Amino acid sequence: MTMPVAPPTELLAFTVDRIEVGVFAVDRDFRIVLWNRFMATHSKRSVADVVGRNLFECFPELQQKWLERKINSVFVLKNYAFTSWEQRPFLFRFHHNRPITGGVDAMRQNCTLLPLKNASGEVELVCFTLADFTDTAMYQGCLNDAIVELEQEKSAQQILIKKLEDAQGQLLQSEKMASVGQLAAGVAHEINNPIGFINSNLGSLKTNVEDLLAVIAAYERADTVLAGHPDLLGAIKMAKTAADLDFLQSDMQSLISESLEGVHRVKKIVENLKDFSRIDNAEWHYANLESGLESTLNIVWNELKYKTEVKKEYAGLPEIECIGSQLNQVFMNLMINAAHAIAERGVITLRTGFDESSVWVEVEDTGSGIKPEHLKRIFEPFFTTKPVGKGTGLGLSLAYGIVQRHHGALDVKSKPGEGSVFRVTLPRKRVIEDVGGGVGP
Amino acid sequence: MTAETRTDLTEDQRDALQEIANIGMGQAGSLIGKIWGEFVNLSIPRIAHLDRQSIPAALTRLVGDHSVNAVRQAFHGSIRGEVVVVFSGGRDDELRELMGYEEADSVEEQELLLDVANILVGACLGGIAETLKAEIGFSAPSVMGLDISPALLIRPDELNSGRALFLEVRFTLEKKSLASHLVVLMPEDEFFVLGQALDTFLASI
Repeated sequence: MTMPVAPPTELLAFTVDRIEVGVFAVDRDFRIVLWNRFMATHSKRSVADVVGRNLFECFPELQQKWLERKINSVFVLKNYAFTSWEQRPFLFRFHHNRPITGGVDAMRQNCTLLPLKNASGEVELVCFTLADFTDTAMYQGCLNDAIVELEQEKSAQQILIKKLEDAQGQLLQSEKMASVGQLAAGVAHEINNPIGFINSNLGSLKTNVEDLLAVIAAYERADTVLAGHPDLLGAIKMAKTAADLDFLQSDMQSLISESLEGVHRVKKIVENLKDFSRIDNAEWHYANLESGLESTLNIVWNELKYKTEVKKEYAGLPEIECIGSQLNQVFMNLMINAAHAIAERGVITLRTGFDESSVWVEVEDTGSGIKPEHLKRIFEPFFTTKPVGKGTGLGLSLAYGIVQRHHGALDVKSKPGEGSVFRVTLPRKRVIEDVGGGVGP
Repeated sequence: MTAETRTDLTEDQRDALQEIANIGMGQAGSLIGKIWGEFVNLSIPRIAHLDRQSIPAALTRLVGDHSVNAVRQAFHGSIRGEVVVVFSGGRDDELRELMGYEEADSVEEQELLLDVANILVGACLGGIAETLKAEIGFSAPSVMGLDISPALLIRPDELNSGRALFLEVRFTLEKKSLASHLVVLMPEDEFFVLGQALDTFLASI
């Protein structure tokens, strides 16, 4: 194998001078010994101007201490050293190669420091090569911008996904509520029939008993006639005493009227249940919110009766077009929350009012109130401060969703320790949504 | 299996490499001392052949299971490979001072790591290459990871080489908190070239 012919020195010198890379070299005293055309052109300092002079004298803007150490390390270690535009945009402030299109303030540079050794292996000079990385830097900048944009889009999508999940949760809950309502209505319907005949039978029984007692009273008038038959009279008296007839007479009547009263109450509850769930009526219709409040109150009465006094301040609302069964759910959630807020004893006030365009319903309690930091979050799905098992955190968000669908507003005022007021404001006339709109809250 | 065991260095070659590395680190220590004006502690280099799957575990064992900063740098020439410098201690202000940054200089932490790593790699590899009479050059160092678990630095499935020569040295500075590990990794297909160079070295003594 023959050694390749070494290129002529002039060719090498020409190449170093003309190559589109900055090339310069310094000796141990940082005197410039080589300065190629690229360096001269971009620094506007000619070879004659700089060669033989100290690098830091010629370019006082260089970071002297740092660069001296860097150059020294190359002399000592006989090693390469580098600077990269990513960490250090440039060593020399040169104009970039985009005088027209622009984009950056100065040429981005990657530098390599090379040890130039003499025959005995000592480093005599440190040679710098300085490559223009402006284009790369600009592409990188564009890429970074694109990445930032993508990240932003990604987080926006994340938020959307979260919203979708919330909406699904609400949907599930309202579905559940709807089937509970359906079930309740079904049960109510089934109970209605037997209650009907029990009611009418009890009515008949009442008349029958009264008639029977009248007959007994008529017989009693024959007691004087029976005086001649002491054995017969004795037997009757014994039977009367044994049955405690006097008590029986009064008790039978009260038993029947109490039973009738009970049946009436069952009928009322069944009516309320049907009224509340209104599977027959899950559509927009005209309804009176105050009667909705009443039937809802009857449903939740068990939750309220032991610790609350319920005050009603009704303004006599006009009927409005709404989905009554859904609004009843809102009222129920508000009433149950009010009851939960009251620890020992308190007052719940149901208040209504209206003007020419809207009606409102307020549920006020004298309970514990809501902490200011929680106020912003109470309508978020799954947000609850109630102990595990007592609240799902869905009630208010559900209520909020329903009120939104009615194009109304659900507002809250609260003072910790004093209580809260929730106000549902609804338009008197239904707002018809645009086609394609109205997908969830 | 046989192919792999055949490519591993022989015991003689390993001993020679150990010897060369010891000498190289001695030189490196004094050179770094000259540059930084600080006394450097260098551990005795440890050499091992590792399957690529065991490299992450080896790195974790070396530097400890805490997050680290790491820089990589390639060397090429008659032998080639990559060096990973793992920094597990070292305060920024101390490193700045070492590298000659002035108070007012704005500096990216990354440049600091790259500069320090370049000196460590140059000193250690330079010493070894000189003793081996191997001519090597370096490409610019780059950041592998910041604040990352050492086990995640090298992913075995991304390695081209099934087996690697693993040469590890630990650095500490006498008066500064800088502590770092330098790991030289040479791919399987370089074992033969390195072995030849070592044989030449052995023959020359």
